[in-house]
Amino acid sequence: MSTLVKKRLTGKKIGRGTRNLLTVLFAVIYLIPLYVAVVNSFKTYWEVIKSPLALPSSPTLENFTEAFHASNILSLYGTSILITFTSVALLVLISSTAAYIIIRRKNRFCKFLYGYALIGIMVPPVVTLVPSIKTLSMLGLMYTPWGLLMFYGGAYFSTTIFLYTGFINSIPVTLDESAYIDGAGTIRIFFRIIFPLLKPCTATAVILMGMWIWNDFLNPMYILGSTAGKTITTGIYNSIGAYTSKWNLVFANVILASVPIVALYLCMQKQFMTGLTAGAVKG
Amino acid sequence: MKHKKTHDILLAAPGYLIYTVFMIIPLGLCLFYSFTNWDGISKNYKMIGFKNFVRLFQDASFYNALKVTLIITVITVLIYNVLGVFLAVVLNRKNRACAFAKSAIFVPTVLSSVVVAFIWSYIMQKDGGIINTILGVFGIPPVDFYDTPMHTIAMISVIISWNGLGLFMVIYVATLNTIPQELMEAAEVDGANGVQRFFRITLPLMMPGITINSVLSMAGGLKQYDHVKVITGGGPGGATQTITLLSVEKAFGYNRRGYSSAIILVLFIMIVIVSVIQISITKKREVEY
Repeated sequence: MSTLVKKRLTGKKIGRGTRNLLTVLFAVIYLIPLYVAVVNSFKTYWEVIKSPLALPSSPTLENFTEAFHASNILSLYGTSILITFTSVALLVLISSTAAYIIIRRKNRFCKFLYGYALIGIMVPPVVTLVPSIKTLSMLGLMYTPWGLLMFYGGAYFSTTIFLYTGFINSIPVTLDESAYIDGAGTIRIFFRIIFPLLKPCTATAVILMGMWIWNDFLNPMYILGSTAGKTITTGIYNSIGAYTSKWNLVFANVILASVPIVALYLCMQKQFMTGLTAGAVKG
Repeated sequence: MKHKKTHDILLAAPGYLIYTVFMIIPLGLCLFYSFTNWDGISKNYKMIGFKNFVRLFQDASFYNALKVTLIITVITVLIYNVLGVFLAVVLNRKNRACAFAKSAIFVPTVLSSVVVAFIWSYIMQKDGGIINTILGVFGIPPVDFYDTPMHTIAMISVIISWNGLGLFMVIYVATLNTIPQELMEAAEVDGANGVQRFFRITLPLMMPGITINSVLSMAGGLKQYDHVKVITGGGPGGATQTITLLSVEKAFGYNRRGYSSAIILVLFIMIVIVSVIQISITKKREVEY
């Protein structure tokens, strides 16, 4: 091997090494805010003030026990899980079925329905929040989890319909036809044959909607009010507001609110990353 | 094929019913209320024509909110898309360092905006905040991120971007993976260098991702509420209020639902106009291959 080639090869190797080092360094710097939150949640008030960046000298769980009781974390979780789970399930069900019909039936009315469904895609939920308070109270759904569920059903229908129609278009109609010849009705064809094929799209919808609804702040604050329970975001907002400068307690709350969702993400990283895009970007 | 109408209706109707009652009707009501002086409580209210809109365009707090919202939108859209494309291109390699970096950058995306805002409001404190502690090590005097509303807004925009960058990066990585490898190889054989390949091949072929991301980031910036609400609450004296914050305050704090509807309607129209312009610009640049 000539010295020139050798030089180029080793040069490239060093380049790759530093590049990897820089990459990892960038990622570590990116995570400093989370490091700060984690280490300070194990410290006493005075230690946070004195050495905010150091590891805790004698880690204490006191902040967590206090935050756990004061914020009633378990009940917050209950509300958040219930609302996220039911809303996402409702959205997947109503929009996959509706998308199937409007894509498969080639008539003018379904074309109209498609356009009608997309009106909402540019409407941010905050636009409908104020008038929804009127409609929800008329239906007796204001200040109930049901009201929030219906609000999300309306608010995100357009987005999920948009995801599903694109995906259903790519599924050959011959599949429907053979099932039809075997004597299956439309409902059966959809749930037995089509719905399982929509899995990548459903994954995208579940993760996207799940993240939006779980982390939503403004809508649950006004629709649930103070009587129908609090979600993790509104609950944490209230309890942290009560002790603004006791950072050790703030961080304990922050950690309690975030550990489950971060753990879920770390366990299902691949599903999160591929799922988010599988139904959205053509590939 | 003949289809039973009842089956079709059973499948399509529930979604459309919910959508109509909880989306289309409230949207219509928002339009209607914006022409009234409804206070949200009393049964009686009057149609007052365009008075809300006239008042809106004379309202200094609306112009300020508009300015704040646009600054947040511009900064976050730039960071999301420039840094998002850059990170996607740099990190789109199959090795552990890149995999680690991608996972790390995505972590804040799953966190709630409220949590993120609390963590950062500690980090950017003037006394005892992390940024100033680190600056102090290098002998740099502490920075006051709250000294002018514009500094605070710029800092909040960076925080929002830190929170959401992962999603945009992941969408860009996915778009990048749809580009056929042969194109890159062909360009390399033809003697195109890295910069040329990026601007001549990668970027044009990433247009579908850029369309999705620019619309998502633009709409996200225009309706910003959470981070500002937690970090400044819109203060001091409404100086850092976004349009959404202003509208919510008018609706629930002052019970001026009609006026609040007018504000939010203007925001909605802005989002529609911006999205339509954006989609038509980026769609034109999408290339077939």
